[in-house]
Amino acid sequence: MPENNLVEVSHLRKTYGATVAVDDVSLTVRPGEIFGILGPNGAGKTTTVESIAGLRTPDAGTVRVAGLDPRKRRTEITSLIGVQLQASELPERIKAWEALELYASFYPDPADPAELLERLGLTAVRDTAFAKLSGGQKQRLSIALALIGNPKIAILDELTTGLDPQARRDTWELVKQIRDSGVTIILVTHFMEEAEYLCDRIAIIDNGLVVALDTPAGLVDSARVEQRISFRVPGSLDDSVLKALPAVDSVARDGDRIVVTGNDDLLVEVVVELAARGQAPRDLHTEQTTLDDAFLALAGRHLEGADR
Amino acid sequence: MSQTLTLTRIESKLFVREWTTLFFVFVLPIGLLTIFSLMDDGSGSSDGIPASFLPTMAIGIGVGILGMTTLPMILAGYREKGVLRRMSTTPVRPVKLLIAQLLLHLAAGVVVIALIVGLGTLAFGFELPGSPVPFVLSALLYTVAQLAIGVLIAGLVPTAKGASIVGNILFFPSMFFAGVWTPGDLMPESIRWLRDITPMGAGMTSMQDAWAGQWPGLVHLAALVTATVACVVLAARFFRWE
Repeated sequence: MPENNLVEVSHLRKTYGATVAVDDVSLTVRPGEIFGILGPNGAGKTTTVESIAGLRTPDAGTVRVAGLDPRKRRTEITSLIGVQLQASELPERIKAWEALELYASFYPDPADPAELLERLGLTAVRDTAFAKLSGGQKQRLSIALALIGNPKIAILDELTTGLDPQARRDTWELVKQIRDSGVTIILVTHFMEEAEYLCDRIAIIDNGLVVALDTPAGLVDSARVEQRISFRVPGSLDDSVLKALPAVDSVARDGDRIVVTGNDDLLVEVVVELAARGQAPRDLHTEQTTLDDAFLALAGRHLEGADR
Repeated sequence: MSQTLTLTRIESKLFVREWTTLFFVFVLPIGLLTIFSLMDDGSGSSDGIPASFLPTMAIGIGVGILGMTTLPMILAGYREKGVLRRMSTTPVRPVKLLIAQLLLHLAAGVVVIALIVGLGTLAFGFELPGSPVPFVLSALLYTVAQLAIGVLIAGLVPTAKGASIVGNILFFPSMFFAGVWTPGDLMPESIRWLRDITPMGAGMTSMQDAWAGQWPGLVHLAALVTATVACVVLAARFFRWE
């Protein structure tokens, strides 16, 4: 196993009865990165990270965290990985401060609870019961609990689901700060925007399989079938002028707009040709391929709509 | 060890913040003892009802609620809400939370027993238990048996609501079989054997015997031990952490 991988998942498979939660997942997480696991609900994301955390026994395949089997080396693994679980709550009446104090007592070398509260902006609600915290505060407390053991890896599962846009933005900044403090992060999400903004590398999982694994830019590139630009020109222009350019695949009209598709050199060739003819394009639009387009191209459907 | 202590301390704080629990475990038994003591016209025991029926009934009910509803509701709720699963991602084994809850409920049971005995003797003119050691033994065996029942309910029922329903379904027949409504000779002879061997009946009867200055009957003590062992064995077999 290469030394530089903190987490190695190899041909992981996990079924619950007749349901295949994870079919065949392989991925590696490098130290210091924010690694995204992206996919629609029910894709197998949570089962994958639960297997990494050692909460599930794989039916097949291997999981190694810092070279250790997370099912067998519980003591080391639980100190190494801090976990924020989806749908896991605290007792209603426990105060924020008490929860941190309690979880600090679980670890041999915990972080300072007061400092962590301060860092996560929870000092003002330290004596507030868990049930009375806002959604964003609950999530920040659960991040604090994931960090209280001074872990090397933090697993954050559906961290911003149910948060309003401002709280979501704030949480993103927090995740970046945590990474900057030296913690490797495995981020599970079904929000394209979140993965694109935060992650260094992303594994797209669908139906228990890894559909793609790359940087956000790499995923966009691999999904980009063609470039598409549209524009208006002064005067008249015959389609054959554009079709003669090597980068152009197709030319179409949309009212007075001309829509041209082609390869990566499309924009430059079209603009240069039109400028040379004294017909510089106006109102030019280039269509940006997004990670959502990438998901559509790779998984065959839209991500955001898939679970609604 | 210090983890278990921290857990016990914080779980105790959560326990005393739950006022419905405090009401049913502490206030209700004291209220029953008070009301029925005030209603007693002082004509002395009759119908073969032991003098200590009222305080042992109050203990039986308070400790019974601790074991049959409070403990299983908390444990099943923690599992239902993922508290136990969250804990299993830390170096602490969730069994320490179970131990903390048992310690806490045992302590609450001791408080119930002390409150009832104290109030009964100081305010309502009951004698102190005639055989202190057998009384303490009976009271503790009864408490442990009820807690074992609670762990078994929590092991078999997946949700807090379900645990509460099952606990109540068990609790009311337990009171009936313990003779709460038909004390002493008022209970039909044909079903008195149920009072001898059901945990609440055996617990109350053995506490009454010790209060009267005798060693409790072996049948009652054996019934309490049997119930405890059976529940613990079954709970160990069926308890699920998630």
